[in-house]
Amino acid sequence: MPILEARSVTREYHMGAETVRALSDVSAGIERGEFVAIIGTSGSGKSTLLNLFGGLDRPNEGEILFDGKSLAPLSSREMARYRLRRVGMIFQSFNLIPTMTAQQNVTLALAFAGVARRDRRTRADELLARVGLETRALHRPSELSGGEQQRVAIARALANEPDILLADEPTGNLDSRRATELMDFLNEMRRRDRRTIVMVTHDQELAHNYADRIIRLKDGRVIDGDA
Amino acid sequence: MNLTDILALALRNLRQAKLRTALTVIGVVIGVAAIITMVSFGIGLQQNIISNAFAKLDLFTVITVFGANTDELIALDDTMNNPSNVPSNNADASSNNADDDSGDDPSDPPQGESSPAASPTPDLRRRRLDDAAIAEMAAINGVRYALPVLMFQSYVRYEGRTERQRIGGALASVDYNPRFKNFLAGGSFTNDDAREVIVTENFLDRVAARRNPARRARRNQGPFSPAPVKSDEQRAEDAASAIGREITLLTLPSAAGPEPTSVFGIPLGLLEAGDQESGPDGRYETHVFRIRGVLPSDGGVNFDQFARTDLYIPVEQARRFRQANRDPLELMSEALIGDAGYQRAEVRVMDPTVVRDVQREITKLGFRSFSLTNQIDEIRYIFFVVNGGLALLGGIALLVASFGIANTMIMSILERTREIGIMKAIGGSDGEIMRIFFFEASLIGLLGGAFGVLAGWGTDRLANFLVNRYVVKQGPYIEFFSIPWYLWLGAIAFAVLISLAAAVYPALRAARVDPIRALRHD
Repeated sequence: MPILEARSVTREYHMGAETVRALSDVSAGIERGEFVAIIGTSGSGKSTLLNLFGGLDRPNEGEILFDGKSLAPLSSREMARYRLRRVGMIFQSFNLIPTMTAQQNVTLALAFAGVARRDRRTRADELLARVGLETRALHRPSELSGGEQQRVAIARALANEPDILLADEPTGNLDSRRATELMDFLNEMRRRDRRTIVMVTHDQELAHNYADRIIRLKDGRVIDGDA
Repeated sequence: MNLTDILALALRNLRQAKLRTALTVIGVVIGVAAIITMVSFGIGLQQNIISNAFAKLDLFTVITVFGANTDELIALDDTMNNPSNVPSNNADASSNNADDDSGDDPSDPPQGESSPAASPTPDLRRRRLDDAAIAEMAAINGVRYALPVLMFQSYVRYEGRTERQRIGGALASVDYNPRFKNFLAGGSFTNDDAREVIVTENFLDRVAARRNPARRARRNQGPFSPAPVKSDEQRAEDAASAIGREITLLTLPSAAGPEPTSVFGIPLGLLEAGDQESGPDGRYETHVFRIRGVLPSDGGVNFDQFARTDLYIPVEQARRFRQANRDPLELMSEALIGDAGYQRAEVRVMDPTVVRDVQREITKLGFRSFSLTNQIDEIRYIFFVVNGGLALLGGIALLVASFGIANTMIMSILERTREIGIMKAIGGSDGEIMRIFFFEASLIGLLGGAFGVLAGWGTDRLANFLVNRYVVKQGPYIEFFSIPWYLWLGAIAFAVLISLAAAVYPALRAARVDPIRALRHD
């Protein structure tokens, strides 16, 4: 049974008077421990699918299942818990809180999970050490390089030990060397922790080099499920 | 995320926009300060009137009992002698001040509306207020003492000047007369029949002013009282220097009136041998009293009418002098119906709560009575309304501030949309986001409230100083404002409440931020 599954998912947005169909009857499954890349051009609906997987959005039709259970009946509060416990997300633009240090960004996620105050810092330092940033813990995002910022974001995404890491163009704002570094890191982490990774990218080469499987989207439809 | 975390986040957010937070807080400060200043003035006024002025005179524990006046007694007498006469109903409406009060005693209640315990219809069966009646009242449960009110006017000579003075009789025991608890100098009578007199500071000042007319011009006739610009030391010194001086009461020679040998069974013995001297040609007699104590003039709002008596002599002395100072009309009524008894008696109760019960008992005894209890309730209610109005005015300022709070919060949300989106993406719930903003708002309210109370207090102090310095000018320092604990606590709570109300819309809006839209990179 796939850990994450989209079943005939349709998502439409209203842009003023016109309706944009971002996803149209999409079905896809992610197995536990897989590294799946979702690729497609801009506007293909790949980020929309990731957001649906991440519990940030809900489909108009169809349903998303986590571990065989539909997310549809979850209240917004339960959805927040799902985001907190089950999935970790990283973004192209890192989305760190600029006024907080690396450590504070990580502890924020721990605070939402209700980790005791005294445990948070040690846990955050541990996580930052895992991404190789133990010396940068007290720096703000503006004092960190793009690669470092993304690693802080990864530390934050992993803070509450999610089952799945969802990455939305994680290398999009990095130069190729940093991008390779980051991908190596993700790959190694996956192998070590047997974590499931779903990555959205438009970079075919990157997808081919690292992913176990590729889902191709075009105009809101899966054109090559590979599975 | 527990409350401490939310608090920490809210604090952090406020710190990040220090100027904006400060400006918003200032808005609340002004609102709260306005409420505090207005209401504290209202409460201060209330306290000046009710608590200070009335409580100082212990008016909550006193019941004034009215005996039948001479007209009523004469009417009663006529009815008894001639039963076919229909008793006239207007007896009660006639003057109650047939004797020594010159018809203007303000402590007499308005007829018919004085208090519920006052008999609603004139009652010809009403009793003579004599010593026996007073003894019955003294026996009522909860009564500390019952005494006839002995007050009369007499010519008095002091420091070479002679003038008419109102003289009251008082007990030597301090327990029986709370007014005699604080003396500026000296003390209470040695006994109830001593040739001693207690004067007020007012009296001494008037005498001094008469000797030195320049000072009289500076006397303030406004509601905010009197008293010379003297230091406390000077006052005490002046008072002390008066102790032991002589005050002479003047009476007609005892032969001039039909002197009864006793009043209500008390042997008169007014003029003991060697006690009195005659004036020039023996046309009047002089009775020398020595000043035993000086009472301070009350500061604050001056209810002159309650404290108009400036001279007190021991009660037994007063009984006899009152008798000796009857006017011809009184003598006439005595000729008609015998002794009319006392006009009034003062019944003091142990505790203000029993006033009404005691008044009921007194009614049963056949006397009308009057207490301030009902009037106080009414005054309290009026002040409640006034304070409410003042609070409303201050509340308007706070209402304006609440729009500032809402504005600040909305700005803050616009600025932090992305941050809110991030928080949601990493697992923050709508409720938690909302709570952060409610905390921010209540912190603004709390800060504004706390500083507002301080600012209101400061304004009060400044206004009080200025008014005392430039308007009242003389006399003891008057406290115009009062900030009781419930006011500052209530003002802060109100500020927090208003802030929370102002944050409802912004917080809902923050909770509704769509994380996808918030995180969409530009």
